[in-house]
Amino acid sequence: MNKFNEIADFGKELMALDKMDNVLDLIASKAKELLNADRCSIFIVDNEDQMLWTKHSDGIGRIVIGLDSGIVGETYAKKEPQVVNNPYEDSRFLPNIDKKSGYTTRNIITVPIFNSRREVMGITQLLNKSRGDFEAQDLETLTFFANYVSGSLELVLIQESH
Amino acid sequence: MTYANTYHALAKFGRELLEKKTLSQGLPLISLYAKNVMKAERCSIFIYDKNEHTFWTTLADGVERIIIPSSKGLVGETLDERKPIVTNDPYNHPKFLSDIDKSTGFVTKNVITAPIFSSKREILGVFQLLNKEEGFDKDDVKFMIFFSHYISGFLELTNDYLKKED
Repeated sequence: MNKFNEIADFGKELMALDKMDNVLDLIASKAKELLNADRCSIFIVDNEDQMLWTKHSDGIGRIVIGLDSGIVGETYAKKEPQVVNNPYEDSRFLPNIDKKSGYTTRNIITVPIFNSRREVMGITQLLNKSRGDFEAQDLETLTFFANYVSGSLELVLIQESH
Repeated sequence: MTYANTYHALAKFGRELLEKKTLSQGLPLISLYAKNVMKAERCSIFIYDKNEHTFWTTLADGVERIIIPSSKGLVGETLDERKPIVTNDPYNHPKFLSDIDKSTGFVTKNVITAPIFSSKREILGVFQLLNKEEGFDKDDVKFMIFFSHYISGFLELTNDYLKKED
């Protein structure tokens, strides 16, 4: 079964969920699987408080950072994906999160998730590809995937805000 | 908010849509749903073929295709402008093609369109509804933008990525 047939099946599973936590979990686990990455966090944009938060991040609990922090913040500001294969040499990288969790980030890929008004409502971040660096093909897959899930994500965000 | 209750019911539609394996099977379902929700008389989804410079759409059975040039009418205008168009007075709109009404006998009273974008921000298609009794307003535009985005993943997957397995 190729990747895109897999995504079609995943879509059905996703649509069956109506709780934000479950939606975020399922998106994160599928994204990891598609790109063979070790960790995934979905950051949600909170414009009011100028924050990015995750519901829960693999192994490290909830993360809350400023809208302009780190590579995720850069993704938000530029509205563009970021691929960083040498995070410790990148000044935008936040090594403190690694320090706290004891995890070593080797490489990072982020993709903005747009709502229907073309605002960034979230950011998908994957860490540590199982073998080698993140490449153009990973970027295309994740860009497609982020758009594919964006409708469901926007819907649960609207529902939770009511 | 006019469409507040609609958002709650939308996930059910989404599940039904994803049961459809091909784009042609999905289009009639999308049209039917959009017509009911927006209380419009007709709905068409035009899929853009950038190589041929045409749009195609299916009739209600999902089989027969209609093909139109991509440069014409309000659908063509939506492609050029990359944003929704609303007109509650189509016969006085410079881009409206009144010839189609003439040949079909249908009378278009009002029109709303919205572009459907892919993950690469290219136009996949144009969504069009005709004849809402009280005319289309701002809430309708908002819902069209939301809904076009909501279905865009299905459209991109079936049109661009699963195409060869139809």
